[in-house]
Amino acid sequence: MSDALVVVSGLSKVYADGGLPTPALTDVSFSLGRSEFASVIGRSGSGKSTLLNLIGLLDTPTSGNLVLNGQDTAGLSHDGRAKLRNTFIGFIFQFHHLLPEFSVIENVYMPALIRGEAQTPDLVSRAHATLETLDLCDVADKKANEVSGGQKQRVAIARALMNRPELVLADEPTGNLDTENTEHVYELFRKVNREWGTAFLIVTHDPEIARQTDRVLEISDGRLLRDAGPDNPPR
Amino acid sequence: MLSLRIATRFLRTSPGQSILIITGIAVGIAVQIFVGTLIMSLQASLLETTIGNASHVTLQNVDDKKPIVYTPGLARALESDPRVKLIVPDRILSVIFSKGSDSAPINVVGALPSDINAIYKMQKHLVSGRLARDAGDVILGSSFAKKYQLAVGDPVLVVMPGGTQQKLTLVGLFDVGTSAVNDRLGFTTPDFPRRALGMASNEYSDIQTQLVDPFQSATVIKDLTGLEVFRGVQFKDWQVENQQLLVGLQGQSSSSYMIQVFVLVAVALGIASTLAISAVQKTRQIGILKAMGLTDSRAGMVFLWEAALLGGCGTVLGLAFGLGLLQLFQLGPLTFSVVLDPAFVGGSCAVGLAVALLSAIIPSRRTSRLDPIEVIQGV
Repeated sequence: MSDALVVVSGLSKVYADGGLPTPALTDVSFSLGRSEFASVIGRSGSGKSTLLNLIGLLDTPTSGNLVLNGQDTAGLSHDGRAKLRNTFIGFIFQFHHLLPEFSVIENVYMPALIRGEAQTPDLVSRAHATLETLDLCDVADKKANEVSGGQKQRVAIARALMNRPELVLADEPTGNLDTENTEHVYELFRKVNREWGTAFLIVTHDPEIARQTDRVLEISDGRLLRDAGPDNPPR
Repeated sequence: MLSLRIATRFLRTSPGQSILIITGIAVGIAVQIFVGTLIMSLQASLLETTIGNASHVTLQNVDDKKPIVYTPGLARALESDPRVKLIVPDRILSVIFSKGSDSAPINVVGALPSDINAIYKMQKHLVSGRLARDAGDVILGSSFAKKYQLAVGDPVLVVMPGGTQQKLTLVGLFDVGTSAVNDRLGFTTPDFPRRALGMASNEYSDIQTQLVDPFQSATVIKDLTGLEVFRGVQFKDWQVENQQLLVGLQGQSSSSYMIQVFVLVAVALGIASTLAISAVQKTRQIGILKAMGLTDSRAGMVFLWEAALLGGCGTVLGLAFGLGLLQLFQLGPLTFSVVLDPAFVGGSCAVGLAVALLSAIIPSRRTSRLDPIEVIQGV
């Protein structure tokens, strides 16, 4: 199997709002290796989130090609895309997007239930272990909307990690958190990246956060302006 | 069964909404069962009153003035037809009852006591005395007896068609609940009218029959008419003689169906609107679940399960309400007995569930089609 976890080739996305074509992403190409810890930076509206949604199979490109874990995603059915999202990718959004009807621990093991796992003691203990990593054991049985903002975001991170995905896509994951919680979240990302070998692609508009990642992809007006990292130092 | 689990949780987190719609379905099913059963019972009672004690198909000689001959062949043909449950050959003698200056015309029906009991349930309707058993015995309606101050054991003087007088003995009084029978008919043994009418032992005024299914009368008549043994016999159909009753029953059935259809439409609209609201309320959650990998079909199943749960609970509750209402109704004074038809009750429950599931189609399809990106970008 290739070392490239994500291969993006000439990816473009054009929205046709009100009949007027609006390019959101133009001819973006790069690849992301296994266990890489990378960020995508750019101004608001530059196309960062569009890129993340395309890689996360939440949106479909107008043109270009996307290969995830060696699998070309172009011919995938709706269900095929859903399955790949569930097993291969963990999402963390700026807004936690927890399910308020379920408890913290139920939110965490929901991706495993979607994958088809039964709610066994093993599954619950795995969810507890994930919560422990994020220091959330105390709130496991609380309703998702009964915990603080910082805790909600950490629950969302635990949920993204539950199926032990090879790739975590995070869109402004600390956008709603204070400095202390922000630092804590990035420490956690690093820890998971180091211990589990999970690749991270983090969208942020904060250059300080981007500096803490190993590789920075800068998007401007929908184009990949800069790809700086250990293998591609800034020009 | 993740879809079921999600559906259950969605319903439990909106208890007020869930209880309201379950109650709505329950009321609908209860009304359906209550109204349907009452109307069916009322119709059954009306039919029983009208034709339970009467002939469904009556055989007579084509010449009204001549008696019908009850040949062994004719008897075999009727007895071998499984649709015919009762055969009563009888002789009817029109006489004038006379007491002092009072007189009244009555038809005296002569048949075997067992036959009279079978067709008129006479033993049940006897208010005093016994059935006519011996020659000269007669039983009369209790209202007739009261009007002419007659009691069991009294002589009954009648003027025969030829003008001669004959004395009979009143041995019993009956009340069949119909004045046409109570005030106009008397019942006696077969021999008294046979002698008076000069009939042979196998000659009768008519042959009354009752059918297993009274509504089969036209078919039975059509089938029998073609047989050689029934040559010279005319058939009288109760349905032809009771057209007005049938029109009334049909009207009642139509209004019952209309009520039931409108109740079901109201139930369907109630469930559909609640599920549509629920689908809108839960759009965000469904989008999140889809972003996590829930497939379109499983997402759609969430609302089908919601409908099934609401429909199931509502139907069970409605069944209990409906049966309870019927029990309560029977506590009051009723002129007819309420008979529960398990097939109708089961059918009502099945229709309730089916309506609930059909109501979920639109929200379910809407949920299936929901694109998670709309939710993720929409916040």
